[in-house]
Amino acid sequence: MEEILKVEGLNKSFKLSSKQRKIEKTDEKIKKAVVDLSFSAYEGEIFGLLGPNGAGKTTTLRILSTLIKPDSGEAYIKGISVVKEPEKVRNMVGFLTSELKLEDFFTPDFLFDFFSDMYKIPDDTRQERKQYLFSKFGIDKFAGVKVANLSTGMKQKVALVVSIAHDPDIIIFDEPTNGLDVITAKVVTDFLKELKGQGKTIILSTHIFSLVEKMCDRVGIIIDGELVVCSDIDTLTKEKSLEDVFFELYYERKGDSV
Amino acid sequence: MKNGALVVLKKELARFFGDKRLFFTTVIMPGLLIFVMYNVMGNVMQDNLSSKMTAVSEVYAVDIPDGLKSLFESGALKVTVISEDEIEDAKNKIKEKNIAACVVFPKGFQDFVNNFKPYKRAQNVPNVEVYYSTADIESSSAYSRIVDLLDLYESDACNVFDINFASTAEEQQKYNVATDEQTTGTLLASLLPMLLMTLMYSSCMALAPESIAGEKERGTFATLLITPVPREQIALGKVLALSCMALLSGLSNFLGTFLSLPALMGSVAEEAESEFSVAVYTAKEYALLIVVILSTVIMFVTIISVLSTIAKTVKEASTLTLPLMMAVMFIGFSAMYNSDPKQEIMWYLIPVYNSVQSMIGIFSFSASAVNILVTAGINLAVSAFGMIVLRVLFNNERVMFAR
Repeated sequence: MEEILKVEGLNKSFKLSSKQRKIEKTDEKIKKAVVDLSFSAYEGEIFGLLGPNGAGKTTTLRILSTLIKPDSGEAYIKGISVVKEPEKVRNMVGFLTSELKLEDFFTPDFLFDFFSDMYKIPDDTRQERKQYLFSKFGIDKFAGVKVANLSTGMKQKVALVVSIAHDPDIIIFDEPTNGLDVITAKVVTDFLKELKGQGKTIILSTHIFSLVEKMCDRVGIIIDGELVVCSDIDTLTKEKSLEDVFFELYYERKGDSV
Repeated sequence: MKNGALVVLKKELARFFGDKRLFFTTVIMPGLLIFVMYNVMGNVMQDNLSSKMTAVSEVYAVDIPDGLKSLFESGALKVTVISEDEIEDAKNKIKEKNIAACVVFPKGFQDFVNNFKPYKRAQNVPNVEVYYSTADIESSSAYSRIVDLLDLYESDACNVFDINFASTAEEQQKYNVATDEQTTGTLLASLLPMLLMTLMYSSCMALAPESIAGEKERGTFATLLITPVPREQIALGKVLALSCMALLSGLSNFLGTFLSLPALMGSVAEEAESEFSVAVYTAKEYALLIVVILSTVIMFVTIISVLSTIAKTVKEASTLTLPLMMAVMFIGFSAMYNSDPKQEIMWYLIPVYNSVQSMIGIFSFSASAVNILVTAGINLAVSAFGMIVLRVLFNNERVMFAR
């Protein structure tokens, strides 16, 4: 299988304000969000980044989708550097996170067209994709309703559809099922499997074990910004469940401090 | 292929024109409000002026000569003659606003006036005392009328020479050699640059923070940044769209002001005894004005966009842009006391100041095309620099994603 994503020694730290230091109960002025992170993902697989809140999952995904730059290290998507040629990378990547919001004022229809234009999608292709995706997620009935007036679940679906308007080869998905009801969540996970079937690569982050077990081919466990395990899921869960594996690793690292 | 800047521009305009409320509050309302307000203000001012002129005020007088009494009465003053003992009482009545003033003539006033010889330097001239109150508008206006009447009486008593003597107003006008054009020009050159600059800036201020800091605050800006459209194209699209909107909003403000100028300026022009008319400007002036306004608006939008990008919230953006607003107003004010534009080119190298000077030049018919082109060039250069700064800021994750 072709290596689509290659992450090499990523480091990223943030300055903490005095307020944040108080919340985190630390005197250190710099928080290392990601430490020397390396992994690879291959064509047609779902790779899961598993970790507790604040482990550095979102930071990693933001670096991969070129929203932020690493302090050091590199990541290549289809051999193109996210640091040196972010604009090329953006064309190949679809990024979805709850941080990225859609303007309330516009309708799904308008937004889909707008983002398709931003990705320079030809008009006929755009129309075809819009029809396909809108009917798949049941957005067609709400295509003319302003985003502000849509339900939370429908907003999420619109955001998902818009983020893959340009039919990217790599889909980066931060907490894909967060805040969705079980039915919508199933629609989303089924769709991810379908994308995988089309040969797309999907990188997702989550703290939900069952999601990883059900969806992912391989998983990387991140704790405190470091990748402690990266393995295919079958090997990892041969003897015990993913949950047991995770807590074993977690206590090993954190020791008595927990 | 579609250009990213155009796509962003289209979206921003769709947002602006699609939102009826936003369109109404930024384009229709300001102009309408200004028009109504200025017209009411102008009318009230004129009404006030004319009612003060015609209303009869009651004044008390001590030892008033008969000739003066009838002169006073022809000047809308009702004179009641009182004795010297009643002066204190009269002062109280002025205080209580029952009467407008009390005029006390010294003993032998009439004799002195009658025997006065113009060629003799007079010493120990009699002093007429006029009691009045600045706390009462009627009293103040009666006071100034009394002083005028007394001055008139004094100059009649010893008329040595006349100034600009004419029996009719039309005849009088021959002394004023200024053309209507010049009068209008001087008037507008002192007023409009300040108004226009402030209106343009506040239009930009009403729009740019919302479009940039607002999108950042709501988390919708990042969705633009993950698209492959280069940052500078996003910046260009936003700035162009905002310029269009600010121009529309500014145009509405301007029309409101312009159309109410006759009402507002009527009394001033009357005093200058010339016709106030905006029809004196030709296509040349309007063309130059458009060049100045366009380039200035683009510059303002870019500067405010930069500040809005640095700000974390819309509120912070508005606060950040305020000091500049003060500066713009202050520089605009400088036009009020200086209606001759600077001719040296170096003055036109200073942003904002150059726009004000250019506008003074245009309104007073003394603009140099070179200076105006320099102004436009400088404004656009500042905008271009602002765009570079915007691109750098859009690429800065701390600026774009800091909370």
